[in-house]
Amino acid sequence: MENVLSILFCLTLLYLVITSRLKTYVAILRTQGVLLSAIMIFPFMRHLSVHILIIPLMSLIVKAIIIPRFINKIIIDLDVKRIVEPSIQPFNFLLLSVASMSTIFVAAHVLSGYTPIEPIPFASAFSAIVTGIFLIIFRKKLIVHVVGFLILENGIFLFGTSVAAEMPTIVELGAMLDVFVVVFLMGIAINKISSTFAKQDVTVLGKLKD
Amino acid sequence: MQYLFLIGCSLFFIGAIAALLIRPIKHALSIVVVITVLALAINLIFALMRLIALPMVTDLFPVFSDHASLFRADGLALFFLLVITTVAIPTVISTYSYLQHYLHKEASVRSFLISFSLLLLSTQLLVFANHSIVFLVCWELMTLMAYLGMLLEKEKEEVQKGSFIFFTTTHMATLFLYIFFFLLHDHFGSWSFSDFHLSSSMGTIFYLVCGFGFLGFGIKAGFMPMHFWLPWAHPIAPAPLSAFLSGVIIKTGIYGIFRVIEFCSPLPVWMGIIILVVSVFSAIFGVWYALTQHDIKKLLAYHSIENIGIIGIGIGLGVLGVSYSIQSLVWLGFGGALFHTFNHAIFKTLLFLGSGVICHNCHTRDIEKMGGIVHHASWFVGLFLIGSIAISGIPPFNGFMSEFLIYKGFFNAAAALGNYFPLLMLLLSVGLAFVGGLALVCFTKINSIMFLGTERSSLQSFKVSSTEYTALGMLASLCILFGIYPQSVLGIISSVITFNHAGIIIQPYTMFTHWEFLTVIFVSVLLTIVCVVLWKKFNTNQRISQAWGCGYTALTPRMQYTASSYADEINSIASQTLHLEKHVTAPKTLFPQPSHFVSHAEDFSEKRFIAPMYKYIMNKIDSFEFLSRTDIRFYISFMLIMAIIYGGIAIVWPH
Repeated sequence: MENVLSILFCLTLLYLVITSRLKTYVAILRTQGVLLSAIMIFPFMRHLSVHILIIPLMSLIVKAIIIPRFINKIIIDLDVKRIVEPSIQPFNFLLLSVASMSTIFVAAHVLSGYTPIEPIPFASAFSAIVTGIFLIIFRKKLIVHVVGFLILENGIFLFGTSVAAEMPTIVELGAMLDVFVVVFLMGIAINKISSTFAKQDVTVLGKLKD
Repeated sequence: MQYLFLIGCSLFFIGAIAALLIRPIKHALSIVVVITVLALAINLIFALMRLIALPMVTDLFPVFSDHASLFRADGLALFFLLVITTVAIPTVISTYSYLQHYLHKEASVRSFLISFSLLLLSTQLLVFANHSIVFLVCWELMTLMAYLGMLLEKEKEEVQKGSFIFFTTTHMATLFLYIFFFLLHDHFGSWSFSDFHLSSSMGTIFYLVCGFGFLGFGIKAGFMPMHFWLPWAHPIAPAPLSAFLSGVIIKTGIYGIFRVIEFCSPLPVWMGIIILVVSVFSAIFGVWYALTQHDIKKLLAYHSIENIGIIGIGIGLGVLGVSYSIQSLVWLGFGGALFHTFNHAIFKTLLFLGSGVICHNCHTRDIEKMGGIVHHASWFVGLFLIGSIAISGIPPFNGFMSEFLIYKGFFNAAAALGNYFPLLMLLLSVGLAFVGGLALVCFTKINSIMFLGTERSSLQSFKVSSTEYTALGMLASLCILFGIYPQSVLGIISSVITFNHAGIIIQPYTMFTHWEFLTVIFVSVLLTIVCVVLWKKFNTNQRISQAWGCGYTALTPRMQYTASSYADEINSIASQTLHLEKHVTAPKTLFPQPSHFVSHAEDFSEKRFIAPMYKYIMNKIDSFEFLSRTDIRFYISFMLIMAIIYGGIAIVWPH
């Protein structure tokens, strides 16, 4: 079941790569939040307890509800153009992502022979990290950078669950708080930037250099 | 008593927090000074009690007994704690009056106080560290806090430049130390100092470790080719900090060198000879460069290099003693080095604190613009003079005592070793004597030009506060005490050396000289001088007038001897080595015209080695400028590329 969910997670990544609408990005973030909490609950389906439920529930609330809402609010408040401006053709980007993903899957398969990891969640997690970085590299809009960062974070989250079945609760909670604060700060920063510069692009940030 | 040191250390934290929180700033300053002095006094008592009990001590650090591998209070560490605390107490006291001038810049004063308390703490922990990582952390903290303390007047351009040079240079030293400790860890599989036992039979690793160790610690200590940061960093630091920099922080380099020597056994002879040659070189040229300077603090900075050289000579002699296993030479060499470390810390702190007072009152650091200070503050001048005499190594004061030990070491080595050593020792002792002579010229120069004569620029008042008098008085009385009664320190030094070189059983230090005769002689000489002065003062009718101006009536202050003219004779002997340049525009016609004279010396290592190297590196770096982009996406791609490369290497790397 985890493997199926991880594959679904990977598919959302591929969708993320080809889409060019901001709305879809937010939807994908929401989906990934749900998927992640599901992946976390599944191994413990048999013997549920409040203690185990805390983290998945928290991640569901933060990742699937609060953050997407917040990003939507920024998009509406700042009146960001709803189309992303790619600096690479979507098809090329797709090719690149598929190539790196297949490399990662093969590498994960090879690695699983040596170390005790579950190859599919591991590879999906790694692909999410790489896709997040790609998204930051190939897109200009600042809000998309925030999304890329979140995807990267999702990847790290999944990574944790694939390597060790149960991360220490405090670490997970800390990571959650971290993400929340970062998104919050980025929202404020983008707000400020939009009042200074007309475009919310990374290209204008070069002007801040001294 | 067990927890004395712990209490002392925690008080520094309380001091730092007090500096942050207490308002107004005036109260914060006095409270922090009181807390810090208290903490230092506690640590001083701790050090003294442990040092006196030293030969019997079996457990090395009762406070942290369960972390015995992290901290260790052996003889050397305790001795350096003694040096640090003794010098730091007057420094902190004088900080009180020094910072009164800056109270309007509240944030700067607060950050100075915080960084200064943490600097004191990290320096004291540093000497106790027995774990390489703890040592490096304390080392970095010390550098960083000293840097932050320097930024008290950060709006000045010279402060920015000087502190930056300090920061980069000491970081380079830290880099070498990282390599040094990693090599040691790689070889011995341990981070503990007590597990490192190098010997020259190990081959390359021995040379590498020694090289990096001496380089790293030598930069910090300021041995001659690596000294270039001192003349930049000392003048711009606030006076208490430059006193601490010169008195203590560069001594941590000496401490490190002692540690490196401790790691090695047996010690090779060439190591001693290299240390001796480098040290004599830095002593001679340090003092010679000092003679060419017009900036009082820069001059004192060069004197630090000279004294580090003298300490180095002592260390070199001690190394020779260990490698030939001559006990008396070990004692004279290492003992002289340790004693001079202590003495230099005392009188250099005295001089730097004094220079801070002078700079505040005269609003300049240029010796050529001062003069006639003795007519305003004769007691202050007297205290400064005591420091000057002590640093020149003149008998009744402490500077002489340590140099006396080193001279005895020369003669001892010459007599005991034979072969080519008598010649070498002769050359070295002539070199040291030359250094003493130059130091004397240098300090007569600054004392006569700054204090005597008439004022070159008008000086309404010269204020020395009571805290400054207290601080300077404490240091000056230590100078006299160690000069006429050196036994007080020599006993401690003996037990330190016995403790740290356990293989060598040191004879009682009284074997070498009848110290009590020296005490009697010095006390009687001092008393005679005092009597003569008093007699002259009360029994002659003095006539006070200006100095005789060869019958010329219209004298102005500009017609006095200047510092450059005073030192010119000696400087011109080595003007090429010193890069001494004089530019004169003299009138060419019969009638008087405006004329100028400028002289300045450039540091050869800075001009010949450091500046070209810096230029070369900058050129190389400039060729990578195409990588510098304003867009963050490029940097993220660089990171991704590097991660891929590292990952690839990790996969291919043979297991």
